[in-house]
Amino acid sequence: MRKVAWGAVAALVVLPAVAEGQEWRTVTMSRQLERVEDLRVFVEYGAGHFTVRSVDEDLLYRMQLEYDEEKFEPVADFASDRLRLGVESIGRNVSINTRRTGSLELELPRGVPMDLDLEFGAVSAEIDLGGLALTDLDVSTGASESYVEISELNSEEIGTATFEAGAAEFTAMGLGNLNADRIEVDAGVGSITLGLDGSWQDDGYVSIDMGLGALELRIPEGVGVRLKKDSFLTAIDSEGLIKRGDTFESPDFDDAERRVEIDIDAAFGAISVVWTR
Amino acid sequence: MVAMHMPDSLRKAALCLLMAALALPVGIDAQLRSIVTKSVSASSSGSSIELHFDDQTTLSIALDDGVAFIDGESAGSFERGDELDQAWRDLLVEAMSLENGELAEVLEAWEAPSSDVVAMRVDQALERALGVEQSESVSDAVVQSDATSLARFLLQSLGRLGVLDEALADLEDEDVQVHVDEDVTIEDGESVEGTLVVIEGTLRVEGTLDGDAVLVGGALDLRDGGLVRGQVRMADSRVLRSSGEVRGGIVDLLEDMRESESELRTELRNEIRDEVREDLRRELRDVARFESDDFSIMTPFRPVIRGVGGVVEKLVAVFLLGLLGAGFIAFAGQNVDAISETARRSPGRAAAVGFAGSFLLVPVWLLGALALIVSIVGIPVAIAWLPLFPIAAMLAALLGIVAVARNTGEWLADSTLPWTGWIRKSNQVFTLFGGLLGLAGLFIAGHVISIIPVLGIFSALLFGVGTILLVIAAQIGFGAVLLTRAGRRREYAGRHDPDAAWAAAMDMKPGEDAAADTNDNRGEG
Repeated sequence: MRKVAWGAVAALVVLPAVAEGQEWRTVTMSRQLERVEDLRVFVEYGAGHFTVRSVDEDLLYRMQLEYDEEKFEPVADFASDRLRLGVESIGRNVSINTRRTGSLELELPRGVPMDLDLEFGAVSAEIDLGGLALTDLDVSTGASESYVEISELNSEEIGTATFEAGAAEFTAMGLGNLNADRIEVDAGVGSITLGLDGSWQDDGYVSIDMGLGALELRIPEGVGVRLKKDSFLTAIDSEGLIKRGDTFESPDFDDAERRVEIDIDAAFGAISVVWTR
Repeated sequence: MVAMHMPDSLRKAALCLLMAALALPVGIDAQLRSIVTKSVSASSSGSSIELHFDDQTTLSIALDDGVAFIDGESAGSFERGDELDQAWRDLLVEAMSLENGELAEVLEAWEAPSSDVVAMRVDQALERALGVEQSESVSDAVVQSDATSLARFLLQSLGRLGVLDEALADLEDEDVQVHVDEDVTIEDGESVEGTLVVIEGTLRVEGTLDGDAVLVGGALDLRDGGLVRGQVRMADSRVLRSSGEVRGGIVDLLEDMRESESELRTELRNEIRDEVREDLRRELRDVARFESDDFSIMTPFRPVIRGVGGVVEKLVAVFLLGLLGAGFIAFAGQNVDAISETARRSPGRAAAVGFAGSFLLVPVWLLGALALIVSIVGIPVAIAWLPLFPIAAMLAALLGIVAVARNTGEWLADSTLPWTGWIRKSNQVFTLFGGLLGLAGLFIAGHVISIIPVLGIFSALLFGVGTILLVIAAQIGFGAVLLTRAGRRREYAGRHDPDAAWAAAMDMKPGEDAAADTNDNRGEG
């Protein structure tokens, strides 16, 4: 995959003439890993395809950007253990080009404790946080198609991990690997899929605040689930859950090794539960 | 420090030695500096690299729009797609995927693709930035005076080779002494014969040099009483002091290059200046255009321009609405008839329904969307509902205005008002355009009056009354569209007839027990 990406970049660099009328620039930026005490990473990205993954080299970050240089400029600041990455707008008449969008591929170091803050706008995003040592996590997405996965267990512990999705198709898988005491999902309008798979180190708590849309909870068998719903007009397909008063519980909730409490506050929409192996 | 005496033709052999040294397997890995950050970028217009080293120093090289920049300074020009451009882009492609040590090795090992001065400078800049610091280790190595050590040192000064070759050209002296990385002093009273070549060092002359001096990357310190009988050739060097005498004169070998550089700088400066000047001019023009406090030659004509612009704007709107209305009449004439009839017969009811409908539009839209989104099956329908509902509402409003405009046109045709004689009731398009002009009449009059500054209050009054009438007309039209379900039902198109209503309620044939003439008023419904 990476070879393909480098190949594409190489083609862009070697072939000087690309799209006329727009000045597309490809940039690769990186910084050597150095001793940091309290690393905080802020990533802001406005338009295009956004990718995040971990890197096994001695790098603080490696970022590959493709952007319209007449409208944006890359940002890569590191000072006082604060790392700020992304692009920012420089043009006065910023418009989103529908023919071609930019991209940002970001690699962050494995095993380096960090507080990660990702904010991205009208983009499609593929984010794999597996391998990162996260002490805090905030993911905020606007109108986008976002896929977040925690493919490996987080070696650090997170107090509260927050996901905010505006009007989006948002998917977060492997939430059990986050190693978070509390996971908060704040969704506006759209389709949300949350996968509670992964290696839960302790009992978990997931709070979901949804405005309007469809929510799919993918719960692995063996994880005890208690679901509490506070909604105005929301239908729930609670297959496999037993209703007990105001809550829905999985049959093995009391005996389960790991239990997850899910608190849903939804205005309008549909909730469905899908059991996975 | 090295001092080599070179009999006659050996000077070219010295160059060969230097060149040959490039091929020696010198262990350079440990000597390269550590790169902390890198930024490699490329676009259709240029490509660049920026490096930050662990000692806080930086290096940036950019080949952009035909100009090469080293640390922000112009290093000369190149042709896009030429040998240098291609070799540079190839290097950057490799550099993108490499980090620190590997990256430094690749960059350091890069060789200028040609003997072009710009390429050599780029190469030299990379060598300088990535090589070991010019410190004890280098000097210690050079003191050994063996060819490998010399070559290793000169490897780091690869960029000097081009100018060295140029500096040594055409020298006829028998003896050439080459001093690398050391200062050379000809003491007071001392006389040296032959040609002195000083690379990366200072030549201090207090006595006499009976020959030529060649300085590459060094300095000349010509003290009082010092004499050079031949020529002093300088490349990338400077004169510290010139109190003595140089009989053959001082020649700057890179003068031409500097001149072309200077020309390039001037050209760039002029371009930037012109661009800034043009920007300023544009800004000033904009300010003059929009700053109403400032007087300009156009100031007296502004009300006229505004007034005429407003009239044209309204006429264009009437024309476009007329075209749309003509389309409605052509393709849905009966629906327009029903709506017009309803608006004429039941204007109060239609207006009430229109107002209510206007207020309920947004809630209905949102609630409809929510009702659909509640079910998963309904979500795709909601996707269609969200954009189509406002479009349908807008079409309904336009249809209503067209219908009311037609009624207005018919009324104007019947009236004795001036300039209405051309409206013929027999032609619906005429009545439609006449009605639209009638509805827009107050606005047009307002724009015309606004041309005279003192009559601004009347203009505002006309706009206000015109707006109220237009809103009422729009509400009547919209209500009529709703009442008739876009002209498909005609219940409200006729006047209310109690007998006919009774007959309908009793399921009797019209006229059986009711006055026959009431049938005319019921319409088709």
